[in-house]
Amino acid sequence: MKVELKNLTKIFPSRNKKVGGEVVAVNDFTFTIPDGKLVGLLGPSGCGKSTTLYMISGLQKPSSGQIFFGDEDVTELTPENRGIGLVFQNYALYPHMTVKQNILFPLQNLRGEDRMPKEEMLERAYRVAKLVQIDELMDRKPSELSGGQQQRVAIARALVKMPRVLLLDEPLSNLDARLRLQTREEIRRIQKETGITTIFVTHDQEEAMSISDVIVVMKLGVVQQTGKPQQIYDDPCNLFVAKFLGTPPINVFEGEVRAEKLYIGGAAVLDVPGVEDRAVYVGIRPEGFIPDANGGLRCEVSGVDVMGRDVSIVSRHGAMLTPSVRSIVDADYKLAEGQTEVAYALKPHKVFLFAKDTEERIYFGV
Amino acid sequence: MGEKIKSFFAGLWQNIRTFFKKRVWQGFCVNVLYKKFDRYKAWIYLLPAIVLLMIFTVWPIFNTVRMSLLEGYTSMKAVRGVEFELGIGNFTRVLKYKGFINCLKNTVLLTVLTVPISTFLALLIAVCLNSIKWFSRALQTIFFLPYVTNSIAIGMVFAAMFNMILGGGVRPDFVGVVNIVIEAFGGDYINWMNAGSEYWANIVVMTVYIVWNALPFKILILLGGLQSVNKQYYEAAKVDATPRWRVFTRITIPLLSPMLAYVIITGFIGGFKEYSSIVGVFGESMGPAGNHYALDTMVGFIYRAIGNQEGTASAAALILFAIILVVTMINLYVSKKKTHY
Amino acid sequence: MKDNVTGSSASVKTMRERDMQKVSATQKIVKICVQVALYLFLGVMALIILFPFYWMLVSSVKTMPEYSQSIPSIIPHEWDFHNYVEVFQNEDLLLGQLFANTLFVGVVSTALSLVITVLSAFAFARLEFKGKNLLFAALLATMMIPGELFTITNFQTVHSFGWMHTFTVLIVPFLVSVFYIYLLKQNFQQVPNELYLAAKVDGTTDLKYLWKVMIPLALPTLISITILKMMGSWNSYMWPRLVANDDAHRLITNGLRTAFTSADGVTDVPLQMAAVAVVSAPLFLVFVFLRKYIMKGVSRSGIKG
Repeated sequence: MKVELKNLTKIFPSRNKKVGGEVVAVNDFTFTIPDGKLVGLLGPSGCGKSTTLYMISGLQKPSSGQIFFGDEDVTELTPENRGIGLVFQNYALYPHMTVKQNILFPLQNLRGEDRMPKEEMLERAYRVAKLVQIDELMDRKPSELSGGQQQRVAIARALVKMPRVLLLDEPLSNLDARLRLQTREEIRRIQKETGITTIFVTHDQEEAMSISDVIVVMKLGVVQQTGKPQQIYDDPCNLFVAKFLGTPPINVFEGEVRAEKLYIGGAAVLDVPGVEDRAVYVGIRPEGFIPDANGGLRCEVSGVDVMGRDVSIVSRHGAMLTPSVRSIVDADYKLAEGQTEVAYALKPHKVFLFAKDTEERIYFGV
Repeated sequence: MGEKIKSFFAGLWQNIRTFFKKRVWQGFCVNVLYKKFDRYKAWIYLLPAIVLLMIFTVWPIFNTVRMSLLEGYTSMKAVRGVEFELGIGNFTRVLKYKGFINCLKNTVLLTVLTVPISTFLALLIAVCLNSIKWFSRALQTIFFLPYVTNSIAIGMVFAAMFNMILGGGVRPDFVGVVNIVIEAFGGDYINWMNAGSEYWANIVVMTVYIVWNALPFKILILLGGLQSVNKQYYEAAKVDATPRWRVFTRITIPLLSPMLAYVIITGFIGGFKEYSSIVGVFGESMGPAGNHYALDTMVGFIYRAIGNQEGTASAAALILFAIILVVTMINLYVSKKKTHY
Repeated sequence: MKDNVTGSSASVKTMRERDMQKVSATQKIVKICVQVALYLFLGVMALIILFPFYWMLVSSVKTMPEYSQSIPSIIPHEWDFHNYVEVFQNEDLLLGQLFANTLFVGVVSTALSLVITVLSAFAFARLEFKGKNLLFAALLATMMIPGELFTITNFQTVHSFGWMHTFTVLIVPFLVSVFYIYLLKQNFQQVPNELYLAAKVDGTTDLKYLWKVMIPLALPTLISITILKMMGSWNSYMWPRLVANDDAHRLITNGLRTAFTSADGVTDVPLQMAAVAVVSAPLFLVFVFLRKYIMKGVSRSGIKG
């Protein structure tokens, strides 16, 4: 099922009564989610991603704009009439019901023609439980399950109605690191197997990058960039997106362009054809540094982290805006004993320039 | 012809049905009915509560104030169409009335006697219960027992325990178990509550009963407070070799002060509303034989004025409310200064 | 020499050990003494607390002559249960009727009160509407006012409604308890809001959500409320006495008090005690089986009945 959002806007009255006014949680969101894809809504807390999800679910009414499932306008429909499944951040399992009762609950609410006989309900419940691999736990209470198992029950409960769209609110945030890795693979597998259009919300860029087909980066209610994860990582449209994606995060410097050359801290570091003379922010991905004795960017070494596959050099530079400069270089590269300074050449496609005022990307020819 | 009309209407009906079966009908349901209901449903849920509260709580508040400000108001006269003047005569009359002063005296005396005694005893018992190992549960249950009693019924038991029957002779014909105990310890019989008994003896009987009745609630609250105190405070005190008494005054009491404030405040409120325990022991005459209403209380005064002297009753009820309010405020003020949260 | 040194150090060591043992021994003794004192005090207090109950039971099985002895027996000479039989046959008391009346009033008012309380608490805990906080604050404020203040007007009101001497008058005026609404609202609010949203997504109506999720989760509180409300009917005295003190509608506490208010004549105390025991018995049974709920409810209330 294709999901289409048209000029979706949500305005809340301000909580602070003294100030009054309104808070725009989501501002003019237009986006089409292709059928059968896994889409991640990514952004820092308070960026309106959960509000967007709740509007798609029907739990919150948009202030303006429309939502389409396929060709059907569902903007005015109540949640139960939309055919969605929603998994809450804290799972919201009914604590007094067993796993089986929890999964059966949505089916028992169906009325009229949708109502199915008891056997079929059970059959469906067991099928979906098997899908998420909790069919052994059907008679337990939620309190007797681990976090990961509860998560699976919540997903099963959302899937049992065979929703047209599956919505997940921060699905991994309540799990510990090891389970998180495992569960995100699981979500990917379930989504692939069922082929249900799935939208999930997260503030963890790694999570979003690793499993989404498409990600939507949001900030303060405004969509910043949409696209495939790798594409957004390689080609961020502004400083916010560049900083938000990637671990370790991108390094940012004060820089200046003079005569189509980029200067950082007074030294020329890169040719940037086609850019007029101006002061800029320079973002350099950690893997964009090449240790080179003749390189223009000279940094003071403060430490080396060996991470097996590769080596991360932590250093300092006068023009840096991030707390330190972190580069990832080949494991074969070794700093000489007592070496306090390292010089880098830069990979042009890992260097991004941003305007100082708008923080928008300034493109240059490579 | 008939067939044609029939099929025409059948077709029309079919169209109408499919028309309504589809979006329009659903849209109507969702947009008009559901949304309207959605907007007002909170009020629909609250409706029974609000209606009843309007009749039996809100209206009485206004009406009581109204009646208290109409000179000499009674419902009998009101039915006959008598006009009443506005004034504070009801209040001044009540405050000058000897019977009411007596009620006030009894109420205050019983309250200031029973609240400190019961609070102190309850604190003592709660602390002891909290520091024993075995039988704690069983003892807790015993100490809670007086709560689940009918205060009239058990009042009658207390009456039987303090009672005596004065015969013609020097010795009474019959004495209750309390006097037997006093005799066993070498004391003289005391006429606690029968004809000719003295006021202080009556007060003692009521104090014993009210304290007995008030203990369980206070013990429950204080024990709950003690048990919720973080054990680490005590362990820290142990590490510092703090003596028991200091632990009690410097750690237990401050941490317990919110609960203490709570039982004292509710104790005062309950004390000013004392009534049924006295009826339980002394009967509706609220005093020993030959000295009726010697132990009358403010609530008793109000109840007896209901149905015949509403103006007076209202004034008395408002005075009672004012006293409770003031005492509670004082309590809150003091406890705010003294309690440590 | 060497032996001597080690010997003296050894004796120093043992002396210190002995002193340490002494200290810990005295500590132990103090500890035991304190425990004994605690149990002694609690035991005496418990006896005092229990004595009225004991006296009630003992007196109720005595014959009048034995009861009237100038030295009462702590344990009755012969157990005479005929008082209990007589209590149910007593013409003044009509105990069966009193039980039936009280039970009827208790059950009906509790059931209706629960419905009203649940609906109101749900509205306050889960729904958003204008003036919610103001309304709730106003409700809480009424809890400050002593009930006697309402009684004066309510007496006139039920009179003008023509409800005097009916069961209605015993049930309706006390159906709404702000305190119970408050208690249940607090409980409902502990249920995460996501459960409500999840139920909405699953297509559950409000009432079904209430019935299937909220009520099971708030069951302990509801049981507490039920017990306290029932106890309230059982113990209520003044209002029933004012408005429905006829044989057909009299409640049990009233019946008990009025039946034995004979003038200064000789009261049949054993019979009276038997009646008191019979009236108290249901309360004790409830207490024995549902102590947990009563104590939980009471510890949050302080309102008797």
